[in-house]
Amino acid sequence: MAPDAIVAENLTYLYGDLVAVDRVTFNIADSEILGFLGPNGAGKTTTVKMLTGQLRPKAGKALLLGMDVAKNIEKVQGDIGVCFESTNLYEQMSAIENLNLFARLFGMRNFDANDLLKRVGLGGREKDRVESYSKGMKQRLMVARSLVNQPKVLFLDEPTAGLDPNSAESIRNIILEERERGATVFLTTHDMMEADKLSDRVAFMNQGKIVALDTPHNLKQQYGKRALKAEVSGNDGQLENREIIMDAPETSAALQKLFTEEKVVTIHSEEASLEDIFIQITGRGLQG
Amino acid sequence: MNLRTISALVDKDYRLYFRNRFFAIITVLGIVAYLVIYFVMPKTVDENLEIGLYAPSLPPAFGEIEEEGLLITVTGSEDALKAGVTEGEYVAGISLTADFIEQLMAGQKPRVSVYFASDTPPEIRDSVGVIINEIAYQISGQILAIDITEEILGPDMLGQQIPPRNRMRSLIAILLIVMETLGLATLISEEVAHRTINALLVTPMTVKELFVAKGFTGISMSFIQAVLFMAIVGGLNRQPLLMLTTLLLGSGMVVGISFVIASVSKDMMAVMGTGIVSLIILMVPAFGVMFPGMVTGWVRIVPSYYLIDTIHGASNFGTGWSDNWLNLLIVLAFDVAIAVIGIMVLRRKFR
Repeated sequence: MAPDAIVAENLTYLYGDLVAVDRVTFNIADSEILGFLGPNGAGKTTTVKMLTGQLRPKAGKALLLGMDVAKNIEKVQGDIGVCFESTNLYEQMSAIENLNLFARLFGMRNFDANDLLKRVGLGGREKDRVESYSKGMKQRLMVARSLVNQPKVLFLDEPTAGLDPNSAESIRNIILEERERGATVFLTTHDMMEADKLSDRVAFMNQGKIVALDTPHNLKQQYGKRALKAEVSGNDGQLENREIIMDAPETSAALQKLFTEEKVVTIHSEEASLEDIFIQITGRGLQG
Repeated sequence: MNLRTISALVDKDYRLYFRNRFFAIITVLGIVAYLVIYFVMPKTVDENLEIGLYAPSLPPAFGEIEEEGLLITVTGSEDALKAGVTEGEYVAGISLTADFIEQLMAGQKPRVSVYFASDTPPEIRDSVGVIINEIAYQISGQILAIDITEEILGPDMLGQQIPPRNRMRSLIAILLIVMETLGLATLISEEVAHRTINALLVTPMTVKELFVAKGFTGISMSFIQAVLFMAIVGGLNRQPLLMLTTLLLGSGMVVGISFVIASVSKDMMAVMGTGIVSLIILMVPAFGVMFPGMVTGWVRIVPSYYLIDTIHGASNFGTGWSDNWLNLLIVLAFDVAIAVIGIMVLRRKFR
């Protein structure tokens, strides 16, 4: 049985007296997409930095592909791809030069930058300097750069932030393709819909700790409330709202009453969102 | 240490360097401008002999000697005569005693003190001796014995007077080298400011390889320019191996200084502000070569002094390894010390 792609064991990091990451423990399976959610300052970036070898944990350890990151940093970094939140490309170089540079650093032979650029929708602009690119194009190039070495583990930090819907969708498709290829994806995002749609599991981080980690479905089951919302026509012809909580002892009776005694105009089910659940668990919003 | 990684980083740095318009223009135009300046500087020295004289009673024969092209300036005191020689006003100073004529007429052997500037060539020293004998001959009508005491004021440079353009060689060579501190420091500071360093640090590249690549970029950029200049102006004709070694060690100094500058600078403008100060300090010893007497012993605390002293000595006087080994050792020690400090302070910025 293959080891988990990522294992964090009591990972801890402090900035002076401030505990940024507090004994975080989790496992991510091979070819799994983990959505990593939390407000600014929750410790997400510090966690990623420890997992990618940019920071040495003050306590605990991180294993990637079965290797201790702190002890095998070069080998680990040869197998990962990192897409940063802020654009950090060589803007006075072309897209093709940017990718070829990183291909050389990763020791990739027979690397075809054009293929990768076409895949992220930058075909035809490959020789233009990056400084002439739009934000969306730069973001797509950032994603392309993280794929240069065909990584076994992919760390993506807000890969679709600020992108138009089409660009965002194309990047989401690339993430799914990478998972199909066999890559494990560690996806840091503020976009709840995106996390819900792409992630096999999501982890909520708050104040340096993982406060919940499960599949979106299970989290909704565990923390969210399901309800039926209906609009009914009242005696005076005015529309009135009705809400029936699902999974409650009185649900069946309430449903029977709705359909027999009321004039139902519209009806739909409603599930809790990940953001609702996060607020419920932590008492604060994701943007905070 | 992976050479493939280092070559990729150096290749990247060269591309970025020459795509920065400021540095591209400075580099290309700089060499051209320095060569132009070098070649418009006089290639010969002034052949007029300007001699100072202190003589309490002026011998009558001096008027005739001045007609032969000598410029003789009479000073009011022996101290003024010495000062004039030290400051380069006169290539030599002759001091006669108050009873010079009387002693000559009495058939005695009068004492004559002659002061020379440190770079007075031997042929001029000889000619001053001839002048003094000529004075004595014209006064007495016969060849007389004179006790001439020579004194060198300032460091004795073995007397080779050199044209201004050759003095300038070390100044320009060192300028080409130290200018690269700005280029390399800018490359590094922009790498940090634009966070491209973070992207590099999540590849299999090690920090050691990064420093080696930056070091190679800095050394090669400054070394190539300095060697190119010295080759064109004939600075490699004498002691070429020593000269190449010296320029290489000088280029090594660029690396550590660039690291230090980059560690305290956020962007190119900050690099310029900090870098210009260090550039001026490093240039001071070279001005000492251009204008002898301008700087004094304190200049030895500037690391580039030993570099410039070697370049000047080897290219203009043909001084060899035995004359310069200590200079080179000191430059090497400075290179290592500055590089270690630079790496330590810059590493903190990479985190």
